[in-house]
Amino acid sequence: MAAPTSAPQTLKFTGSKYLIQRLVLATLTGRAIRVSQIRASSHTSPGLAAHEVSFLRLLESITNGSHIEFSYTGTTLLYKPGLITGAATGHGLTTGGAIRHELPADCTRSASYFLIPLCLLAPFSKAQMNVLLTGPGVITSATETGDVSVDTIRTAILPLFKSFGIERNLELRILRRSNAGRDGKGGGGEVQLVFDHQVRLPKTIHLLDAGRIKRVRGVAYSTGVAGANNARLIEAARGVLNDLVPDTYIFSDISSAPLVAGLEKNNPGAKRKTGLGFGLSLVAESNTNMLYSADIASLPAGGEAPEDLGRKCAYQLLESIEAGGCASGVAATSVLTLMAMGSEDVGRITLSKDVVGSEQVVQLARDLRGFGMSGWGMREDDDGEIVVSIVGKGVGNVGRKIA
Amino acid sequence: MAAPTGKRKRDDSDDGSEDEGAVRARFQRAFEAKFKPLDVRKPSPSPELIVDDIEDDEDEEDLETSDWEGLSDDDGAVEVVELAVFPSHDASAIEREKKAFMSSRPPTLEGSAVRQPATTKEVAADDTEEKANLQHDLALQRLLKESHLLDPNSSTRSNINVEGRGRLKALDLRLKDLGAKAPVSTQEKMPLAHRKGITAKVVGREGKRRQEAAESGIVLEKAKFATKFSKPREKAIAGPMVGKFKGGTLSLGKQDLRTIQGPKQRGRGGRRGGKR
Repeated sequence: MAAPTSAPQTLKFTGSKYLIQRLVLATLTGRAIRVSQIRASSHTSPGLAAHEVSFLRLLESITNGSHIEFSYTGTTLLYKPGLITGAATGHGLTTGGAIRHELPADCTRSASYFLIPLCLLAPFSKAQMNVLLTGPGVITSATETGDVSVDTIRTAILPLFKSFGIERNLELRILRRSNAGRDGKGGGGEVQLVFDHQVRLPKTIHLLDAGRIKRVRGVAYSTGVAGANNARLIEAARGVLNDLVPDTYIFSDISSAPLVAGLEKNNPGAKRKTGLGFGLSLVAESNTNMLYSADIASLPAGGEAPEDLGRKCAYQLLESIEAGGCASGVAATSVLTLMAMGSEDVGRITLSKDVVGSEQVVQLARDLRGFGMSGWGMREDDDGEIVVSIVGKGVGNVGRKIA
Repeated sequence: MAAPTGKRKRDDSDDGSEDEGAVRARFQRAFEAKFKPLDVRKPSPSPELIVDDIEDDEDEEDLETSDWEGLSDDDGAVEVVELAVFPSHDASAIEREKKAFMSSRPPTLEGSAVRQPATTKEVAADDTEEKANLQHDLALQRLLKESHLLDPNSSTRSNINVEGRGRLKALDLRLKDLGAKAPVSTQEKMPLAHRKGITAKVVGREGKRRQEAAESGIVLEKAKFATKFSKPREKAIAGPMVGKFKGGTLSLGKQDLRTIQGPKQRGRGGRRGGKR
């Protein structure tokens, strides 16, 4: 690995997978990275995809002094991170203190694709993080591409920051809901993330007891379709869950379809409806305040009954609970990254074997190693789960250190 | 899950039913010696006693008709029934929880912090007295503040609650206390003749007061004359920044010159008339 000199070497990665994770780690640790062969073998769409480019733009707007270079085809990327400034006044495109970020219409990922990394960067930012995601590409629901809905971020991921001592003034405002548009591309939603608790270093955590489930909460949402879909989703999900957890409540949120610019040549002012559909986000909470979540949304093509989706979502939640551990697969990478950024102390967390063995967590461990973080210690506990011990590197908030 | 909260049968083991009957008879005799004779119903041959888990407070006639016959034939074994109680979710609680859960903030890990309404039941007893005292206080304060409205020569009033015009005036005063700018009772729109009449009356009254004061040798405050233009006149949109443009010429007044040149600079001390 690179010696701790004044100008550490550029880290080299290949492939488009885990690009976001690497960009986040690069920004947090301040190491420059070069990613090559991004979809180099694809003939139809080589190089960076729309959502990846959009994320890079977002990174640029929340940092100061970062340097991004693409190759001509977009298959190679050089990223030199700057300081995370957040929504500092006088910096970037700010309207009312919020950084306005427009997502392109051909974005296939949910807003959570942008929000989860933002939440990882935000605690280490210099000023508060206040980002408004808007434009014709914001999908607030879960998507086919495997992203969770923004409700899940708010109810299942943001509460986790509390155990790291990050809890004040966290807000995720869902200003307008939208499912994925036609072909799963684009939507017309609007989400604002306000993250106003910056820390020098996240606290060391010791989460060992997953506890037992005490309640289940959820949000059923429908945009631009009949509210009866919500009722049917809720009915089906409760049909599965009620016998197991009597304290189950699923709230319903019905909204009209968002309008986006029609992009017609002969009528440029025209608007069209987009992002019709419905979905369900479930969160189970244990008596030790561990959270498990499940998400499902209607397919853009339609053709699946709300009852089926509701039941599927409930089973998905049960699977997540069955896997156990103190962090579900959705939240594991965020929690582990924050632990690695923590103070130079051993933090411990119990995770299920499925989660630890998942591709994403393994890759995260490797990437962290690559960025000069310490390795993880693992041991099996009595329940057949894995206790992961991570020594923080005290990287934390570089901006704070300087300022 | 809920604990099985089914019906519970009490086991009826009649070990000492023999001597117990004797004791019972003796008690009955002693009782009847003192009071009216009881009409005793024979216990049913196989008492299928059913006791609900949750026993309501039964009325007396219910007690009479029920087949409960005392704590007699238990052999000391205590049966523990666990009753799982779930938080009762009434409509308002659900509404509150919905508000907490669906807000933009992440729901707190401790769960919905159910806000208990401030306990008011204990203070309910002396609540009425407090209330009365407060009301009296308020009335007194108002009386002190608005007592000038009760001027006997203005009209005949002896009530604390002023009426008619006085009531409106009192209302205005109260509003002013609360921070209102203009009084409520002033009429915004009225015919021009009315308005002129009112202003004339005001001016006339003021003039009369001054005249009377002058006659009797009282020195009054200086009269304030209303300025004609309170604000500087707005300039024309395409007009010049300084001076007046009229007839194709820009004419600058003294004031304009002064604003352009700034205040006259004087050298300190000597050098007056020296070369510049």
